[in-house]
Amino acid sequence: MQNTALWFDRKFGLKEHTIAHYAWVIVGIAGVVQMVGAAIRMAFGVLVDPLVTTFGWSPGSIGLAYALMSIMAALASPIGGYLGNRYGARRTMAAGTVLFFLGMMWTSQTEQIWELYLAYGLLFGFAQALLLVPVVPAVASWFRRHLGLGTGIMMVSWSLGPALVVQALAVLFNTVGWSQAFMVVGIVGTAILAFALLFFRNTPEEAGRIAYGTKPSDRQLMTSGNIFVTTQQEFQKYVYKTNAFWNLINIHFLGCVGHSVILVGIIPMGISRGMGPLAAAGVLTTISVVSVTTRFMTPVLSDRFGSKAVMFVSFFGQGIGVFLLLTADSTWEFYTFAVLWAIPYGGEGTAFPIINRQYYGHSPMGTTYGWQILGAGLGMALGGVLPGLVFDITGGYGWAVGLSAVFSLIGALAIILLEPTRRQLIPDWPEIDSVTTTQPVAGAPVAALPGHGAPGGD
Amino acid sequence: MSSTGTSRPLPLASPDSEGFTISRRPLLGFGLLGATIVVTLAVLIYLGAWASSDRIENRVLAASTGGVHDQGDWWEDSLLLACPLH
Repeated sequence: MQNTALWFDRKFGLKEHTIAHYAWVIVGIAGVVQMVGAAIRMAFGVLVDPLVTTFGWSPGSIGLAYALMSIMAALASPIGGYLGNRYGARRTMAAGTVLFFLGMMWTSQTEQIWELYLAYGLLFGFAQALLLVPVVPAVASWFRRHLGLGTGIMMVSWSLGPALVVQALAVLFNTVGWSQAFMVVGIVGTAILAFALLFFRNTPEEAGRIAYGTKPSDRQLMTSGNIFVTTQQEFQKYVYKTNAFWNLINIHFLGCVGHSVILVGIIPMGISRGMGPLAAAGVLTTISVVSVTTRFMTPVLSDRFGSKAVMFVSFFGQGIGVFLLLTADSTWEFYTFAVLWAIPYGGEGTAFPIINRQYYGHSPMGTTYGWQILGAGLGMALGGVLPGLVFDITGGYGWAVGLSAVFSLIGALAIILLEPTRRQLIPDWPEIDSVTTTQPVAGAPVAALPGHGAPGGD
Repeated sequence: MSSTGTSRPLPLASPDSEGFTISRRPLLGFGLLGATIVVTLAVLIYLGAWASSDRIENRVLAASTGGVHDQGDWWEDSLLLACPLH
């Protein structure tokens, strides 16, 4: 396998990078975990009608299960991040896999609405946090440099994966019914997760390897032991004392409200302006497809030029772009909006692992990232409620579009107030004194970490 | 890509972290987050109170035209009470 990868390196003339590195296996596993973990979340819409038909529950009461799941996943995110730091992402994701299985099985046997709330809302919500939060910091630990490239590839798989899985789920629901579909997805999903976790390693050191982008002169980072735990706690206290920690939660919240309003409201908005349901759904699909480009590019550019400027452009573009919707009346205007707005939207949330690295160096970022996902989750929940609420009051979506713009632009303003990313805000994460690597390292030299080790800067 | 010849002595704390303190409190970051929470709650209360007011008006209208007069929900009254603009 490694020989094949090395052959590709030679074939494509790769010098600075290599595909013969286990970090890419970790990135692939992260994509699989996200695909399975997020599948049922994305496919919730398919579940509503069968439950209404079978049990006679109202769509609103079923929707409450989704809201509960979203809020539970958001609130549990800091816990997921902390557990990933403390016990390792692999163990945390294994616990998440068990909860995923239990949540799926219980949901498939649900007969009362309160069971749906417990099984899907709480259990599955908590499983989401344990599966999806620790994996990002774990991927980061596999990249000494070029984290932007690793994150970009991971983010692409994250957006394409659920889109594919949702189609498969829709077919499954129609073929075997909702209850058996949940059982099948629960069993197959758990098997896939368990298999993937067999190959997952929390850190390169745990796998007896070195991180991607390590130079021969680099010393090994501390990744285990009792001192690791106490140092981690000490460093997390430093993180809590920085303005950036609190502001980044705020920024992720604002950005997610901004785009959630559009993602939830764009189809009814299009239909209310005379579009057919299929054409309106196509607008959302266009946004998903086009945004893949910037999901990839944003982390890469952030790594190279500094996250602050790239994030500002994304938030500002997301905020200004929605004004196109105020005058959009025809199908082509909606599709023009979809293409133009998807570019900044795709970059909204994907630079956070990079800015964490630039501010906090190589210190474990699980807890920090978990808090940021808490902000994002609550933002998505709020943004999901606003279009319907505004439509009920005003009979239109103009106000919702305005609110989306305001939230995104305030987010852009908050980004301006962040510290420059060229300077690390806390001390360097400790290195182990004597480490010798006897072979040259592929994927190694680009910008050497300046001073406090922040890659890139603005 | 495996690291070889790696010795693992007791990890040493980075000299940079010894005695490192952040003296200033994160007032700006905390303040921005707090302001967002307050403004978001204000927007939600305003919109919620607006919706409540509409619902109550619709019920009164329905009752006056011979429809059934439904009892209002507790959250409608709470939102109207909380919003100074409604």
